[in-house]
Amino acid sequence: MSQNADNAVEVIDLSKNYGPVAALKEVSFSIESGKYFVLLGPSGGGKTTLLRLIGGFIKPSAGTVLLHGRDVTDLAPNERPTSMVFQSYALFPHMSVAKNVGYGLKLRRMRKAELDERVEEMLAMVGLEGYGARMPHELSGGQQQRVQLARSLVLQSDVLLLDEPLAALDAKLRKDMCLELKRIQEKVGITFIHVTHNQEEAMTVADRIAIVAGGELVEQGAPRDVYERPVRRFTADFIGENNLFDGRVTKTGGNAATVDLDFATVQALNGNGLAAGQAVALSIRSELLGLLTPADAENGGLQTIPAEYLEEVYLGLTTSHLVRLPNGQEIMVRTLSNGEAAATFEPGQTVTVGWKTEAARLHPD
Amino acid sequence: MTAETSPAIEPPAGRGRDIAAKPRWRRFLTGEDGIQKVVFYIPLVFMTLFFALPVALTLVWSVFERTRFWMEPGFTLFAYETFFTSARAENFLHAMMHSAGAVVISFVLGFPIAVFVRRRVPEIAQHRVILLFILPFMISELIRIFALRPVLSRHGLLNSFLMDIGVISEPISAILFTPLGVVIGEVLSFLPFMVFSGFLAMEAVQKYVFEVCDDLGAGTVSTFKDIIVPLAAPGIFAGSVFIFVNGLGVGLIPNILGGPGATNAGSIVFESIVALDFPLAMAVSAIMIVTLMALLYIGHRLFDLTRILEPIS
Ligand SMILES: Nc1ncnc2c1ncn2[C@@H]1O[C@H](COP(=O)(O)OP(=O)(O)OP(=O)(O)O)[C@@H](O)[C@H]1O
Ligand SMILES: [Mg+2]
Repeated sequence: MSQNADNAVEVIDLSKNYGPVAALKEVSFSIESGKYFVLLGPSGGGKTTLLRLIGGFIKPSAGTVLLHGRDVTDLAPNERPTSMVFQSYALFPHMSVAKNVGYGLKLRRMRKAELDERVEEMLAMVGLEGYGARMPHELSGGQQQRVQLARSLVLQSDVLLLDEPLAALDAKLRKDMCLELKRIQEKVGITFIHVTHNQEEAMTVADRIAIVAGGELVEQGAPRDVYERPVRRFTADFIGENNLFDGRVTKTGGNAATVDLDFATVQALNGNGLAAGQAVALSIRSELLGLLTPADAENGGLQTIPAEYLEEVYLGLTTSHLVRLPNGQEIMVRTLSNGEAAATFEPGQTVTVGWKTEAARLHPD
Repeated sequence: MTAETSPAIEPPAGRGRDIAAKPRWRRFLTGEDGIQKVVFYIPLVFMTLFFALPVALTLVWSVFERTRFWMEPGFTLFAYETFFTSARAENFLHAMMHSAGAVVISFVLGFPIAVFVRRRVPEIAQHRVILLFILPFMISELIRIFALRPVLSRHGLLNSFLMDIGVISEPISAILFTPLGVVIGEVLSFLPFMVFSGFLAMEAVQKYVFEVCDDLGAGTVSTFKDIIVPLAAPGIFAGSVFIFVNGLGVGLIPNILGGPGATNAGSIVFESIVALDFPLAMAVSAIMIVTLMALLYIGHRLFDLTRILEPIS
C-alpha cells in the first residue's frame, strides 16, 4: 500500500455493490495534489459512485480511500477534507446567497465580521459580487452553480468534488462555466475532481482525465494523450470520433505489425508488443483519414482500403463523409470544409480511404 | 395561386370545416369555452356553497334575536355578551390552551416521524408507511376516544403498566377526567395530521439538502433547526392549525375524557343548541371561525402556505 502524501487522493481496490449490482469493481488510482482531475465516462459507469465514495456519502463494500495519505474510509463527509458541489441547484432555498455561502462557516462558529468578509471574498472569486442579498430563486442556473461553488470553496477544503456541475446548463453557458471553473481551480490551487459525461467539458478543464465505465477505471492520462493515444479499445471508441476495425495480427517485425482486416491487409505501429495471431482492434480518428484520388493512392506511403462512397454531411467547420467498407461496416472520414476545392464524390462511387501508418493505433482485445 | 391548384392548403381548410360542423353539444364537451370553463368554476361554486355561505349565515344568525324555539331577524350582540360574561369565555380560553398543548405535543411526537420517513425510509415505501397512519381513521372517532377510557382510568392499562414496571406505586387518578386526559385524547386523535402535513412539507425538501448538510458538517440539531423546520414550516403550520381547530371544535373529547364541566368550543355550541339558544351557538361558531381565519392569515403572511402544495404541482 503506497501512502504518498503528495497525492491528494489515493483509492485502493475500491469496490461498491448495490445488492447484486457491482457499481464499482476494485478501482485503484491516485490524484496528485493541486490537479484538475476529471472522471469521464458513459452513463451508469460508476462515476458518481466513485465520487461519493471519495466524499464519504456512501460506504465502500471493500477497499480504502486515502486523502493526503490519511485513511478516511470510515469517516463521515464533514470529517474529510473534501467538499461537494452537487449536480442539481442544491442551494438552501430559504437562505440568501450570502447565508448559503456562509452557512458552513457559521457551523464552525466563525466570528460574524470575519465570516462576512470571507463570504464577500468568495462571491467575488466566483464573479457574484453584490449578489449576497439575493435569494436562490432569483438567480439563473449558472449563477446558482457559482453560489454552490462558493459555498464549497469558502470552507478551504483540500479536495473539491463536483458531480456533473454543469449538466443542467445550456451549451453556451456550459462552455463559459468550464473556463471559469478552470480559472478558479488554478487560482485556489486545490484538487478538483469533476464528474462529467461530456467530452468537451472534460477536455476543457482537465489536467488529467480518467475514463470510468462498467465500474472500472479503464484508462487515465492527460487530455491530449487520452485523445490522441488511447490505449484501450473502449477509450478509442468513447473519445473523439474514432473508426474501429477488428482484425488479427499476422506478422510482427521491428516496431511494426501487419494486421489482417479480412477485406484488406494494413501495416501499423506495434506499440504494445503484440504477437502474431493476436486479435486486435485498429483505431483511427476520422480526421486522420483521407479520401484519396487514384494518383494519391499510387504515390504510396499510406495505408489504404477500398470503400464505397455513401454520403456527405456538412457540419460547418468540417464535413463528414460516410463510406462503406467491403465487409459492410460504415465509417466516417472527416475533412475541413474550406480546404482547397476537395474532390467531390458521387454516392455509390468506389473510393480509396487512406491514412498515415502512424495515425492508426492497435488495441489488443 | 388559386385554391383549386393548391392542394397543399386543402387539408387544413377541410379540418376547419370539420370543426364548424361539430354539433353544439360536442363543442361544449371539447371546446375551449365549453366544459373547460365550467370545470374552472366548480371550485368556486363549491367554496361558495360550503364555505362562504355557511360562514355568512353563521355571522348573520349570531346577531339575530333569540326566540323560544328558533330566532328572528334583528340585530343584537346579546349572544356575544352572554358568551363573554359567563364561564364560557374562560372555558373557551382553557380549551384553546389545551389545544395548543396538544399541538406542541403532536409536533414533538409527529414531526420527527415525518422527517424520519422522508429521510430514512426508501423512497418507494414512503407513501405506504405514511398510509399506515390513516388506519386509525378507519375506526369511528367516538369509539377511538371512548376506548381511551379503560386505558387511562385509575385501574386502566396505563396505570397497571406503570405499576408493573415499578415507575409508580400508587395508581395515578389525575389522568382520566382531567385536562390531561383531554390533551392525551387530542394528541392521539390528531397526531396523524401532523405526520401527514409534516411529510407533505418534507416531500418538497429535496434529498440533496440533507447531503449538503452532511457535507457542511451540520449536526442533527443544526440541520433540524436551520434547514428542516424553516423549509417545512408551511406544513408544520398547516398541521398545527388543523389540530388546534379540531381540539377546539371536537366536543366529543372533553365530553368523554374530560370529566364534569370539561368543555371546548364544540361542546359549548352543542350545549347551546340543546338549550335552543341558537344565536349563542352561532356566536361561539363565529368566534371560532374568526380565530381560525386570523391564524391562517398570520400563517400565510409568515410562511406562504401555498408552498405546501408545491411537491404536488
Ligand atoms: N442507490 C443505488 N441502488 C442501486 N443501484 C445503484 C444505486 N446507485 C447507483 N446504482 C447503480 O450503480 C451503477 C453506477 O451508477 P453511478 O450513479 O455511479 O453511474 P454514473 O457513472 O454516475 O452515471 P451517470 O452519468 O448516469 O450519472 C449503475 O448501474 C446504477 O444503476
Ligand atoms: Mg452520475
